[in-house]
Amino acid sequence: DRQTLVAVLQFLRRSNLRESEEILRREARLLGDDLGGNVATVATSSPGVAAVAAVPPGKGEVRGDCGVGPCSAGTLGGTASVSSISSPSSKITHSGDVIGGAVVVEDQPDVSAVLSAYNQQGDPTLYEEYYSGLKHFIECSLDCHRAELSQLFYPLFVHMYLELVYNQHESEAKSFFERFHGDQECYYQDDLRVLSSLTKKEHMKGNETMLDFRTSKFVLRISRDSYQLLKRHLQEKQNNQIWNIVQEHLYIDIFDGMPRSKQQIDAMVGSLAGEAKREANKAKVFFGLLKEPEFDVPLDDEDEEGENEEGKPKKKKPKKDNVGSKSKKQDPNAPPQNRIPLPELKDSDKLDKVMNMKEAARRVRLGPECLPSICFYTFLNAYQGLTAVDITDDSSMIVGGFADSTVRVWSVTPKKLRSVKTAADLSLIDKESDDVLERIMDEKTASELKILYGHSGPVYGTSFSPDRNYLLSCSEDGTVRLWSLQTFTCLVGYKGHNYPVWDTQFSPYGYYFVSGGHDRVARLWATDHYQPLRIFAGHLADVTCTRFHPNSNYIATGSADRTIRLWDVLNGNCVRIFTGHKGPIHSLAFSPNGRFLATGATDGRVLLWDIGHGLMVGELKGHTDTIYALRFSRDGEILASGSMDNTVRLWDAVKAFEDLETDDFTTATGHINLPENSQDLLLGTYMTKSTPVVHLHFTRRNLLLAAGAYSSQ
Amino acid sequence: MEAAKMASPKSAPKDAQVMAQILKDMGITEYEPRVINQMLEFAYRYVTTILEDAKIYSSHAKKSSVDADDVRLAIQCRTDQSFTSPPPRDFLLDIARQKNQTPLPLIKPYSGPRLPPDRYCLTAPNYRLKSLQKKVSSTAGRITVPRLSVGAVSSRPSTPTLGTPSAQTVSVSAKVGAPVSLAGQRFTVQIPSSQPAGKSGTPGLPGAGN
Repeated sequence: DRQTLVAVLQFLRRSNLRESEEILRREARLLGDDLGGNVATVATSSPGVAAVAAVPPGKGEVRGDCGVGPCSAGTLGGTASVSSISSPSSKITHSGDVIGGAVVVEDQPDVSAVLSAYNQQGDPTLYEEYYSGLKHFIECSLDCHRAELSQLFYPLFVHMYLELVYNQHESEAKSFFERFHGDQECYYQDDLRVLSSLTKKEHMKGNETMLDFRTSKFVLRISRDSYQLLKRHLQEKQNNQIWNIVQEHLYIDIFDGMPRSKQQIDAMVGSLAGEAKREANKAKVFFGLLKEPEFDVPLDDEDEEGENEEGKPKKKKPKKDNVGSKSKKQDPNAPPQNRIPLPELKDSDKLDKVMNMKEAARRVRLGPECLPSICFYTFLNAYQGLTAVDITDDSSMIVGGFADSTVRVWSVTPKKLRSVKTAADLSLIDKESDDVLERIMDEKTASELKILYGHSGPVYGTSFSPDRNYLLSCSEDGTVRLWSLQTFTCLVGYKGHNYPVWDTQFSPYGYYFVSGGHDRVARLWATDHYQPLRIFAGHLADVTCTRFHPNSNYIATGSADRTIRLWDVLNGNCVRIFTGHKGPIHSLAFSPNGRFLATGATDGRVLLWDIGHGLMVGELKGHTDTIYALRFSRDGEILASGSMDNTVRLWDAVKAFEDLETDDFTTATGHINLPENSQDLLLGTYMTKSTPVVHLHFTRRNLLLAAGAYSSQ
Repeated sequence: MEAAKMASPKSAPKDAQVMAQILKDMGITEYEPRVINQMLEFAYRYVTTILEDAKIYSSHAKKSSVDADDVRLAIQCRTDQSFTSPPPRDFLLDIARQKNQTPLPLIKPYSGPRLPPDRYCLTAPNYRLKSLQKKVSSTAGRITVPRLSVGAVSSRPSTPTLGTPSAQTVSVSAKVGAPVSLAGQRFTVQIPSSQPAGKSGTPGLPGAGN
């Protein structure tokens, strides 16, 4: 393949292997047209044995080290030399010129894309035989192992099918699909439908998600016993082909312990890339809250400190008193104050905090006996198509983003929205007067509603800044716009995503904001930089939801590939991967103490995650449709969820998090036994009159506000 | 969204039925009835574009008729042009790695509204007032009304500020009562054809940049 050859040459050049490149170039010219349509296949290394392909003297040879997953190999016609992209543990040696040491090759962009062609693992017509053989074996195995081994069906099915399509065996691919697609789990049906439309190699080129699926390894977590069983069976001679496929496309994360039951597995699988490797979730995450700065508060006690006073993961105390607990020790789980630069506290912010504390003193203590009142804001006659809603922290303004590309801001309090006077008028006012902040406002412009025009596509996400000076909106036109709430004009358009941006949010301290879109990355911006500061790449499909952690050091992104990732703002690393949802994730909520994350998706389940340990700790079933809104109450006692099924449900968060046992965490299997207690945790279901719930917000006094657009059917 | 109402077989044209079947195969069960019309229009437009391109390619290759290769080439060229897909994953990982290496910039305290440099903001006025050369010396009491002209820009614009006109130019409304004979002076408002900085938020302007 001409392309493959060019890519290999480039790779050799980049690794400074001049001689080999020379030789290869010479030989390539000799071969000329032979390379055209002739793709001789070479079996990749079988486990444990380094591949020794027939190598003409002087040619570069690249070996792949076989762990549980060597990477894909490309082939060159005629010469039968094997080149492969290695995982960090592979070496590159040359017969002839020895390059000192191991060369670690990370993601070589162009090469990997080209050389990740599927290898022909044997005769295409026998694929059905291989698959049904494996199926038979798994169905005859012991009960305890069957559930775990059944996880293999789906990834194997998809990879084998894609391999057939890629190598242009269309009829075999079709019959393979026909025969086995019904056996797969119900939650993969959407993916299978997409697959059924991919019947030719050309179809695969445009579909980025499928390409990513092909090149990334599907992760399975299997107990050691089940794995031994599988390995023994597949290494028998006639099953070697499947073993090769497994080697190449799957990553099997082995754990020591009891094999998991079907129920446990079902809770955690479902994402496009399998589950998360255990070491992906082992990095330290600073989930504590930042210390509030000390300053003189007229009435109340001093600041709220981080609530984790000791470092050990404690059971969450239900009635923790935030106001007045002065802990001078640094919470070990909290990030250092200057880990990321944060804007300084202005006078207006301090006033705001004082207000916040006063309100907090009057806050209603929620609990199973004391449920919040819910005030629902229904958008009537929203023919423009309501797509996004946000409410300020002090609940004074509501913004709606609409499908007709407008952004409308309403004032919820009797105080109307005013814009600042023009420059000429401003020079006339008395700057020393006490109420100068009132005087700069132009009474003539007072109105309850302000409409902001500027986007050229539906507005999918809106976010107020914590100081209520700015508003962000992101839209299908690929831009994120910053609006001033003092002049009600657009200030900046941040261009970076060239594809629809699905969600955006300001940091809890202002200044930073995050956006996620169709290009499968989330970007961190600062209001005074026209380019993003951080790019969080790793998802296999669109990023549909982005949220900041309360300490502003981490960002959670939910994606259409059905995983949630937690990213570190400081260096852009992915520190947690959470799998378990069976549909794209549309809502995320951090608990106020920063320890837990709640997520909702199109499958109607709310999953609860412990961030510190990286584990799923709860599953709340009850909703029947996509969950678009999730919010914890101000002290974290109640979790409210709103969904397309026109209901708001309240769940007991205290109880959901207090039954965790530390023993389970330390077994390091990566999962715990989830109790089936959704019914106990459900505190109330509140139905609206055919209005899907788009947004939820707890006021500072723990009144629950909800918003949605009335839809008449 | 209402559930799809399949038009009764005798009234829907055949291609509409085919389109409805395609939607059903792809698992889409709920859609407004006009979606079928839109999809048909799109299909027609796409196919005719491809075939026209294919005709051009085959005539360029001096072939007597259009064959599969021409069509394939036409499809390939159009795909690169109109149906762009997001960048591939390894490219994204690469630029992410580069971007994430730079440390987060420190924040200058007390710097007012934190916005990017003016040329990246949309805060500049999208018009400019230009004054032609006025008479050199003028007595103190005489107020000259500068001429404003439409047309190409001849002088370099000053850096856009937040709306305050520069000292030379004078907005028309302010000097209507100037005690100077207006006879013989032409007053026209200049609207520069090229924007000095960004675009303001008027509706309808395309927002997505490249």
